[in-house]
Amino acid sequence: MRAVESPLMSDAPTVLEMRGITKQFPSVLANDDVSFDLVRGEVHALLGENGAGKSTLMNILYGLYKPDAGEIRIGGKPVSFGSAKDAIASGLGMVHQHFMLIPVMTVAENIVLASEPTQAAGALLDYNAARAQVRDLALQFGFGIDPDAKIEDISVGQQQRVEILKALYRRADILILDEPTAVLTPQEASELFSILRNLQREGMSIIFISHKLNEVLEIADRITVLRRGRAIDTVPREGATEEGLARLMVGREVLLRVDKPPATPGEVVLELDDVHVRDDRELEKVRGVSLQVRAGEIVGIAGVDGNGQTELVEAISGLRKRESGRIVIGGRETALHAGVRSMLESGVGHIPEDRHRYGLVLDFTLAENAALHDFRYRPDSRFGWLFPRVLAARTQRLLKEFDVRGGNPQTKARTLSGGNQQKLVAAREVDRDPRVLIAAQPTRGLDVGAIEYLHRRLVEERDRGRAILLISLELEEVLSLSDRILVMYEGEIVAEHAFGTTEEDIGVEMLGGQREAVA
Amino acid sequence: MNEIADRPPPEEEEPTTSAGRLMLRQKAGGIIPPVLTAIFAFFMGGVVIAISGHNPLSAYAGILDGAGVNWFWDHFGNTSVLDLTTFNLTQTLLRTTTFIFTGLAVAFAFRCGLFNIGGQGQYTMGLVVGIWVGAYWGNSLPNGLHVVIGVTLAALAGAIWAGIAGLLKAFVGAHEVITTIMLNWIAYWFASYCFGQGGPLQNTTPGQESNPISDSVYQKSNAIIPVLWGNEGLQALHYGIFLAIAALVVFWIVLNRTTLGYEVRAVGFNPEAAAYGGISVKKNFFLAMAISGLFAGLAAGTDIFGWKYSAGVLDVQASTVGFAGIAVALLGRSTAVGVGLAAFVFAGLDYGTTRGLDPNVFEPTLAGNLSLMIQGLVVLFVGADLLILYLWSLRKKRFATPRMSGKGV
Amino acid sequence: MTAIAERFTGPLATPKRVGVAGVLLGIAAFWIALPPVHERSLVVPALLAAVGVAAGIYAAAKGSVRAGWGAIVIGALGVALAYLATRSSVDNLQIVFTWSSLIAAMFVFATPLVYGSLGGIFSERSGVVNIGIEGMMLMGAFWGIWGADVTGSWITGVLIGMAAGALMGLIHAFLSIQLRADQIIGGVAINLLALGITGYAFVQIYGDENISAGVSEIPRLNLSFLDSVPPDSLGNFLYGAFGRLSVMIWIGFVLVVVTHFVLFKTPIGLRLRACGEHPRAADTVGISVYGVRYAAVTLSGALAAAGGAFLSVGVISSFNENMTGGRGFIALAAVIFGNWRPFGAFGAACLFGFSAALAFRLGNAYSGSVPGLDVVAQTLPYVITLIVVAGVIGKSIPPAAVGKPYTKQ
Repeated sequence: MRAVESPLMSDAPTVLEMRGITKQFPSVLANDDVSFDLVRGEVHALLGENGAGKSTLMNILYGLYKPDAGEIRIGGKPVSFGSAKDAIASGLGMVHQHFMLIPVMTVAENIVLASEPTQAAGALLDYNAARAQVRDLALQFGFGIDPDAKIEDISVGQQQRVEILKALYRRADILILDEPTAVLTPQEASELFSILRNLQREGMSIIFISHKLNEVLEIADRITVLRRGRAIDTVPREGATEEGLARLMVGREVLLRVDKPPATPGEVVLELDDVHVRDDRELEKVRGVSLQVRAGEIVGIAGVDGNGQTELVEAISGLRKRESGRIVIGGRETALHAGVRSMLESGVGHIPEDRHRYGLVLDFTLAENAALHDFRYRPDSRFGWLFPRVLAARTQRLLKEFDVRGGNPQTKARTLSGGNQQKLVAAREVDRDPRVLIAAQPTRGLDVGAIEYLHRRLVEERDRGRAILLISLELEEVLSLSDRILVMYEGEIVAEHAFGTTEEDIGVEMLGGQREAVA
Repeated sequence: MNEIADRPPPEEEEPTTSAGRLMLRQKAGGIIPPVLTAIFAFFMGGVVIAISGHNPLSAYAGILDGAGVNWFWDHFGNTSVLDLTTFNLTQTLLRTTTFIFTGLAVAFAFRCGLFNIGGQGQYTMGLVVGIWVGAYWGNSLPNGLHVVIGVTLAALAGAIWAGIAGLLKAFVGAHEVITTIMLNWIAYWFASYCFGQGGPLQNTTPGQESNPISDSVYQKSNAIIPVLWGNEGLQALHYGIFLAIAALVVFWIVLNRTTLGYEVRAVGFNPEAAAYGGISVKKNFFLAMAISGLFAGLAAGTDIFGWKYSAGVLDVQASTVGFAGIAVALLGRSTAVGVGLAAFVFAGLDYGTTRGLDPNVFEPTLAGNLSLMIQGLVVLFVGADLLILYLWSLRKKRFATPRMSGKGV
Repeated sequence: MTAIAERFTGPLATPKRVGVAGVLLGIAAFWIALPPVHERSLVVPALLAAVGVAAGIYAAAKGSVRAGWGAIVIGALGVALAYLATRSSVDNLQIVFTWSSLIAAMFVFATPLVYGSLGGIFSERSGVVNIGIEGMMLMGAFWGIWGADVTGSWITGVLIGMAAGALMGLIHAFLSIQLRADQIIGGVAINLLALGITGYAFVQIYGDENISAGVSEIPRLNLSFLDSVPPDSLGNFLYGAFGRLSVMIWIGFVLVVVTHFVLFKTPIGLRLRACGEHPRAADTVGISVYGVRYAAVTLSGALAAAGGAFLSVGVISSFNENMTGGRGFIALAAVIFGNWRPFGAFGAACLFGFSAALAFRLGNAYSGSVPGLDVVAQTLPYVITLIVVAGVIGKSIPPAAVGKPYTKQ
């Protein structure tokens, strides 16, 4: 339902103009002569894939970076921001992709920070005034929030609202949202969109940064596509299509869905039976999950982040001990307190969701990284003595097989690009010939080329008879790759679907609701 | 708190451990930054000397002379220790032995991402055990065996003392800087008790009961490390220096060619990835500390059986060899070659500012404190990596080409 | 047995509370053997301790591991110490445990720690680890008394000492914030530097003599009205404990309250804490993270130095090399133990101060009968710190971003 007309009227004022913005970082030209303008009351989307320059452009606008060239005008007047404070004073508000909220402090404290209401000539913090102001503001724009709740205790969707309130508290009339739906369910995303429409109605102009084609088509009035630091085109919503936008984003025809033959599953390789796992704060995150993965099939787990997927993966790979429940791999039961080593030996391979944290030792060479699981066995070592040549030879083979570019076995892993690092991790895991391969967020932060490669590779491994468990926050990825899709919500598997399901079917279940029976 | 939304994408993260950060910055320059760091530190020391009214050049010349470094150009080939310069050089080499060990004690832990500030306490406990074995076990053992047992047990004492901190870190997460420093002070007072009046290791010489010093290994059991260069009984350089050099080699081999070293380095760079590789982070924290303590204890053992022969309360309370080890390890970038060279530099500085210094040139107590200041400056500059940062940023600017990759946005 | 215990305790008695009660019982077991209760038979202490240990076992079995084990350990310790107390003469106990003077002594020993820990809290709450508190304290100790000597006034002396500490703080801030150097190495460097600078300056300025007697001392606050509080014993106690404390001790009490107020009730405190929890968030609302951290770290230097100045100008009226003796690190432990809160740190500082005061008196009282006890007793504060750090670490939650350098792009 659109309450506002498309603001592409010739007499609508331009509230913001960026002309010829250029920004060079040491190793990359992030913005190359980019121009962008914003009309009052519109939602203008900035679309591009990871690394296209969207966030940089907005960080420049918000005063966090200084452009090397170009100018910015607000309300017709040229401005130059030395810091976020200046930008805020000019009426800009930004909701960052990675929330700028302090977990141990309350909602009210976060919102009023640096613009606190005070008593006693500014010496004393007037918390009561802060609480009241926050409550009033939330009511005015139609969302409920508890000012005294600690950020670490509220949901992600609510945290995002706090971020928006922060901007509103500082009287923003231009709101910048950086990938706001990355952490939301489809349901929460809809709620966000209706809030945005409310704001539009109140006269706010909104810049919406995203790489998701479908969302941009739903919410935006105009769409500007960035690719590799350049502004390619600005199109109105009417007439724009997913394929058209994708082509602008990438510069060539893009396969939006992976082409794959149907699966021919074999015997059960991984079986979970009523598994319970607690997190570091002793909260039960996995509450009785049972599932099966067969050889030759990809089972995907869809769910919003924080519903226990991370802990589930950690339990299967041995990084975290489970409380109870059976995990059976290749017919053999694993011990309840089995650690990483024994799970690896049972036949688990794991492409971790954070390759810099778990997957690689960045300051080790590629050869040392490739040996991370096997260094203590033959032929890599014997009686504690390492054989570097053996490591190098194996690594060389892997680099070739998985098309890992950027170095040789003696190069430090840090110098490789994200995509190549991930390929190395995948290479290492697959080469160990695990019975079951767990891929957790395998394509996070990667460019399209690397994503395509990994997707293709996963399907190839499936066709070779491997059992693959895929966990991803990108619903599209799960839906297009998996033969069977499980939905995880609050630590339980709440639904199962076959390949061919759409986002709408799953979205409600991801938030714990029941899908209505199709008429 | 939403983990994914909270953490920036992988490209932006710096290494999480100090070992990692130091390694990253080490890439620029190789040996030049340490040399420059040392020069800068000495320069600042010279400024202090000048401010306090003395002539820096003659002060440093005096220190160099005191260290015997001028042997290399003035007295090369002279092996008689009656020649003062030659004697000074042997003394510097003597201290180099100690500093290699205490430097390794810090370096090894550092490679595992741990700060072993407890080298002094570990050394002290090694002193206690070494004296105990050497001077209070009688004379029944054959000398060679006695020395070996003594040095080994002293090393073990250091290993255990450091191991306490290692265990606390592994099981409770107690920060090793605080625990090792507490252990330093506990060892300080415990050893003072042992060697002091009425203490169990005080000397048994009649008429010497008020002297807070232990018996002498030389007198009681004659179990001493054979002399290499100089006169026995006149603080000569002993074969322990070869043990020190061997320790450097072992250090390198263990870290780079063994699975233990692989694990230690992995934990030092990225404990979580190491855990993912099946490495037990706790076990390695403990082992790294224990091995570090082993080196410190070896320092004490070789010192006792090589030239000190006895120890007293004053030795314990005035000693700073453990702290010098910190500067040595940092200047030497925690590598085998680096530690060896840095040990020589600091040993020369140490001896050249104390016994070796001609008091007419520069007051030794002043010079001793100067040496501490220079150590502090070295640690400061290495820690700040001023030069590394500067050189690194120069390099990046020079070689940076605009690349349209997916990074950095 | 747990079933019986469960029936006795109701829903009000959570396992944790039971464990804490057990700890208190263990302490009570020891306490009643001391003056003024002077229980001479072991029966009552043993009973108290037994109940305490039972409570501990219950608590541990029910999941409150820390409190439970704490009770078991303290119960065992309590009965052992009670045994020792019953064995020693009443007179000796009287000498050691004159509570009023013990408490006064506790405050004297604790105050440097209080100042140091307040400094540590400001620094760490803003996000910068300050291991260099020891060095800053030492600078304050030397330059404070030098200032008092030179100007004849204790006030200017203390202020000069604080300025010296602030300077060190500024250096540490520059290294950690501007250069993003490793904060722990920087702290170690500051300590070495301070050691060298103060030693050098001490020898240079005072040479062989000590600082002249008659240097301006910090006056004490005489609260004689306390003596007249009825009943007589209470009045004596209050006067003995609080009646003749140094002015700086009282200032310290006030500072604890002020720090708490500033941190938690003012906008400045909110912004400072934000810098320590999530500097990027603070930056994006326009707070100058660099500015706040510079101020906090410099302030921490000044505060730590004030603590050191109290030591030299207020207590000993002199200076010795390295006179702070690890107090800066104990102050850090107090910060951790107190969970980065001023009142918590104050409590911890008092605990450590108490152990130091006790050690001092134990040593004096018993050194006749047990030779060297006064020396070994010196280890008590460090041992307690070690135990506390080991036991408390897991529970404490530091500011989220402490120790990580912040890069403003």
